[in-house]
Amino acid sequence: MNHMPKPPRRDWTIIALMAMLAALVVASFATLPLKWREFFTVEAINGSIELLAGFAPPESGLPFLTKTFWAALETLAMSGLGTLLAVIFGLAFSLPASGRFGAAPRAAMRAVLNVLRSIPELVWASIMLIAAGLGPLGGTLALAAHTAGVLGRLFADSLENAAPLPEQTLRTNGASAGAAFFYATLPQTLPQMMSYTLYRWENNIRAAAILGVVGAGGLGQMLKYHLSLFQMPLAATVIIAMLLLVALVDGVSFAMRRTLTR
Amino acid sequence: MLELRNLSKSYGGRPVLDQLSWHFKAGEFVAIMGDSGVGKSTLLNLIAGLDTPDAAPGDTPILVDGIAMSGLDDDAATRLRRARMGFIFQAFHVLPHLTLLQNVALPLLLNGLSTTRAAEMLAAVGLGGREHDFPHQISGGQMQRVAIARALVHRPALVLADEPTGNLDPDTADAILTLLQREIKATGACAIMVTHSQLAAKKTDKILHLSRNGLQETTIVKPFEQ
Repeated sequence: MNHMPKPPRRDWTIIALMAMLAALVVASFATLPLKWREFFTVEAINGSIELLAGFAPPESGLPFLTKTFWAALETLAMSGLGTLLAVIFGLAFSLPASGRFGAAPRAAMRAVLNVLRSIPELVWASIMLIAAGLGPLGGTLALAAHTAGVLGRLFADSLENAAPLPEQTLRTNGASAGAAFFYATLPQTLPQMMSYTLYRWENNIRAAAILGVVGAGGLGQMLKYHLSLFQMPLAATVIIAMLLLVALVDGVSFAMRRTLTR
Repeated sequence: MLELRNLSKSYGGRPVLDQLSWHFKAGEFVAIMGDSGVGKSTLLNLIAGLDTPDAAPGDTPILVDGIAMSGLDDDAATRLRRARMGFIFQAFHVLPHLTLLQNVALPLLLNGLSTTRAAEMLAAVGLGGREHDFPHQISGGQMQRVAIARALVHRPALVLADEPTGNLDPDTADAILTLLQREIKATGACAIMVTHSQLAAKKTDKILHLSRNGLQETTIVKPFEQ
């Protein structure tokens, strides 16, 4: 006798969802005034080439390179300090958010973290610039606020997913709740937390460059200034500095994360 | 060393332990046997202060070195466990991210004592030279040796072992029990071991049978379920 297994039942829910998704994509294209044809006209292409040609050659005078170098350091400092503040607050927020103090503090802190990370860095920067004024402080606080929300949530999930047995073992052996956390749960989650932190630092170096555009200092502020004056060779040098900085931080972060997860 | 006075415990109105009394002496290695669900692990948890017995105010159903466990708050019970008790579990509970030496040194660190004895204890259980290895580099039997070293390193007055050889093959189990017996005698601790294994029970000074009728000393090892 032929005992062929029955084919799986067709799941109409998935098919309906896929159809809805396809309808949404079609509706999006239909409603947005996308002028694809104008984008590919000879005039548009020539305009783009002319604009890009204006960037060459990048400014290479020593005074401007020195100025760019200090702006890059400012961007680096903003991202580093913003990430460090986010780690401190994120770790503090993650303890109640992981349910260590009960269900109600967990829900309340997760709601706070949702708010912190739902507001993008640029919006945080606009708020912080009103409070702290133009310059790198506002940008740093903006990065810290958004990233604390992201890291707080990720750290809380790591703590919740950590194996409970080591901490229970220590508690049974007479360790205080704090000692059990620091000896058992934190060391388990630390490599993952470090990895998340380094990844967010990578993101923050990019965000720090953008935040300068709204007046938060660093390379972004220089870029906005020179672009607004159509000083394209100077803007090109700033863009190259941004690329180099991002590549450098990405490389360092990647190497460190690989070491941690080895 | 350890005194149980009319110790009772019930869960949801269902009695698990009923009016249990016994006096455990220092230097004694005692096995507690009994059917599954009779309350052996509950008894260990109550002695360790990890669970609270049914007791009227003023009752002292558990006395450890003359200290009433029921009169202690959570912090005091934690301090008592830290200073005077050692634990050995069936699943070893060795911390995976610490080296063997760090695992053994933990009770010393928690008690604020010098950690020099940790290496001596590790050597005593046959793992000298493996101080900087991690738990994933050793076998189950070796992990239980580490657990024994950790349980005894701070010279506790009371050692509580819950099925310490349950996850080991018969030869390794025999070696572990011989080691446990030797180390308990060397430290003068009172050790209470919950076990289903007749071979394990035979290694002890005294076998107690826990049933609905309470604790009774027995020389006959009953064929309990494995």
